[in-house]
Amino acid sequence: MTRPQRERLAAAQAELLRALLADGAVPEGFDPERVRVEKRALLSKRRGIVEMLRPDVAVELGERFRPLFDAYAGAHPKEVGTRFREDAARFAEWAAARGELAPPRKRRWWQRAT
Amino acid sequence: MAAVAAATDRRPKATKGRWPVEKLGVGIGWRPEIDLTVERLPGVDFVEVVAENLHVGHLPESVLLLRERGVPVLPHAVSLSLGGAEPVDAQRVAHLGALAEALDAPLVSDHVCFVRAGGLDSGHLMPLPRTRDALDVLVANVKAVQQDLPVPLALENVAALLEWPDGELTEGQFLAELVDRTDCHLLVDVANLYANARNLGTDVTRFLDEIPLERLAYVHVAGGEEHQGVYHDTHAHAVLPEVLDVLAQLRARVDPPGVLLERDDDYPADAELAAELAAIRAVLG
Repeated sequence: MTRPQRERLAAAQAELLRALLADGAVPEGFDPERVRVEKRALLSKRRGIVEMLRPDVAVELGERFRPLFDAYAGAHPKEVGTRFREDAARFAEWAAARGELAPPRKRRWWQRAT
Repeated sequence: MAAVAAATDRRPKATKGRWPVEKLGVGIGWRPEIDLTVERLPGVDFVEVVAENLHVGHLPESVLLLRERGVPVLPHAVSLSLGGAEPVDAQRVAHLGALAEALDAPLVSDHVCFVRAGGLDSGHLMPLPRTRDALDVLVANVKAVQQDLPVPLALENVAALLEWPDGELTEGQFLAELVDRTDCHLLVDVANLYANARNLGTDVTRFLDEIPLERLAYVHVAGGEEHQGVYHDTHAHAVLPEVLDVLAQLRARVDPPGVLLERDDDYPADAELAAELAAIRAVLG
């Protein structure tokens, strides 16, 4: 019964999220400044969660954590079905692949976190 | 958990009738980081838990302790994406319903928002376009969810940093029609209302005039901060006096069944949370 409405809404919501989370253009009718503010707020929330889940990564990267995470996040918007723990692990792999982070050592059982 | 849920009178189905909300009092959001604080704070009449963070089979000891004391524990969901274009994920609804039963909760809640679209997950509560299209989809989703929930559903107004173009309804009208068409309850967040007034120019008086206050389940109060001229609903800062003023405006119209303080980060000393609860009580009179 709501199929036409759902289709129109799906397109509009997807366009907004592409602008906010990836590299999509600001959808027509939106205030670009507000889209920028929202984009920054969402990025900051995601970064904060990853920092909380992987303090080891944040500490090792130090001042590089923020710019590196922001570069990673823009290129890898969080997809449906990705948990924050996976997001954090992928960021660590991404940073390690770029040589920014020491490759993960094999942890011994007595060092295992969680 | 079974013991907690065992000796309960089954309440009416969520979808049926205008079952009134019981008196809840003043409460605080239970979070694992402040579990001991919540247990020992004086005058906590009820608590809320974030539904997605709990597992029905492994409820935290602190939550079970509160239930044993007779403190109502209300599951609050953040991920149903009820205003999303896709039908709601049945597993998320089943989890929320199972949690409500395990906690013997009088009701559950989520937000008037969408979370996911086009394969992307915003990780946040995104505002909906206030259009007939969006309302039709939201109503259909809410009705479907109500069929699968064992208890009534309350829906909360969100804080938005941006406004969709071509809105056909005010936020109050949008919520009023949602309630009228689904019989849901309302969870009014006065900090979100304040945020929208500050950031989007929402008229607080008009909002309160337009929403059906007789369907109010409870109220959220939270802190935030201003950053470069925009108010951010952070839940990590003190509650602003302006937010308590909005609560006072609401209180002048209705005696809310419950009011709950949300704090999600940068947890202050117990005394500070106690003072915020006392400030809420003072407004309620």
